[in-house]
Amino acid sequence: MSEITSSTVLRRPADIRYRRIDGEAVVLRQSTAEVLVLNGVGATVLDLADGKRPVDEWIDALAREYGADRETVARDVLEFAGEASAAGLLEPVPAMPATKAGE
Amino acid sequence: MSFGGEFLCHPDLFPGRRSGEPWGEWRLVLDVPGGPYRFSGLAETQVEALRLRFGRLCRVLDSAALKTAEAGVHTAVFRAPGADFLELDTRGWEYTLDLDHAESFVRIAGLRLMARLDWAPGITGGLWTPEVAGEMWVSVLENYLRLLVAYRLVAEGGVLLHSAGVSDGHSAWLLLGPSGAGKTTASRLCLAAGAEVLSDDLNAARFPDGGGGPVVARLPFTGDLGERQGEPGAWPLRAVLRLRQGPAESLVPLSPAAAFAALVAAAPYVNRDLWRREPLLAALDRLAHAVPAWELTFSLGADLWSILARIPL
Repeated sequence: MSEITSSTVLRRPADIRYRRIDGEAVVLRQSTAEVLVLNGVGATVLDLADGKRPVDEWIDALAREYGADRETVARDVLEFAGEASAAGLLEPVPAMPATKAGE
Repeated sequence: MSFGGEFLCHPDLFPGRRSGEPWGEWRLVLDVPGGPYRFSGLAETQVEALRLRFGRLCRVLDSAALKTAEAGVHTAVFRAPGADFLELDTRGWEYTLDLDHAESFVRIAGLRLMARLDWAPGITGGLWTPEVAGEMWVSVLENYLRLLVAYRLVAEGGVLLHSAGVSDGHSAWLLLGPSGAGKTTASRLCLAAGAEVLSDDLNAARFPDGGGGPVVARLPFTGDLGERQGEPGAWPLRAVLRLRQGPAESLVPLSPAAAFAALVAAAPYVNRDLWRREPLLAALDRLAHAVPAWELTFSLGADLWSILARIPL
């Protein structure tokens, strides 16, 4: 699996669904019926993983929301994103191939 | 492996609609939560086997009664050649139905059975089997019925839960956990202490039509504990407990999210169905907020029943 950096764009795989309950997130992998519970920050990261915004923007949003030091947030978010990707809760969005001039 | 390949010789010939040659003219109704469940196209030997298995939950109908009984779900039973099914060595085997979910149907392949549920928008079923009598026929019907009950309960705002249900005669507790978590062991401990075991495998949690909290309804499905004789009925649900076996007893409250997660994991069949997921999750969310939930760690020597009885409301 490729390394997650602040420029990586991540999304939730198609078979992953989640539901916020009282500040936590319950994540369901539909194909296997596996269920995980994430804390409030994990739930917010799932909200942010829309397949459009790079991780860098998540870091900004979380640092703002929690009033925390950006460097600390960046370290935690990259670690979480790596673990969540390894667990199959997030996946990188393939980069669009560059088009040739005139196409 | 593609759908049906584990059980069927020709999975690509799976019935595309509810049609075929019935086994006979017999019809019956099973009065089980989520029902009544009406079956047609049965042979007399199939009816007799089901009467032995389900006892007073089973009513034989005449033709007119089947046509006038509008409520519930109808399943047509058809013949299938035995040669259509793979010969399987089931020793030491954990049997799981093979399911194929789509927007308007679910296809089911299993040991000596093919079945489908169609939504239009209510559920209708079709069941194809080469079994005309005996234990294997009852097993075919029961495996199909478990799945049908799961979908019917969700349609009513309830849920089928892989759980042990125990009762003191006034209220009930649901003990959740995957195979090996200790549902049957916990059931035996409660039984020895004087409790009633509703089922050590599958129970129905429902919200009564007239309002009020959730109830546990007895289902005729049991696990390793074996058949339990008991009156049909429903008891107010007092608590949900996620089971763990450990060296010492402990009781730790679960957050609503953790309770919800435990309930989702314990909701067989429907929790893998992308098309019918939302009503299931809504029912489980409601349940998770309606009753207290705990993680119960217990040992083989535990006075489990006393622990349950002390759980605060």
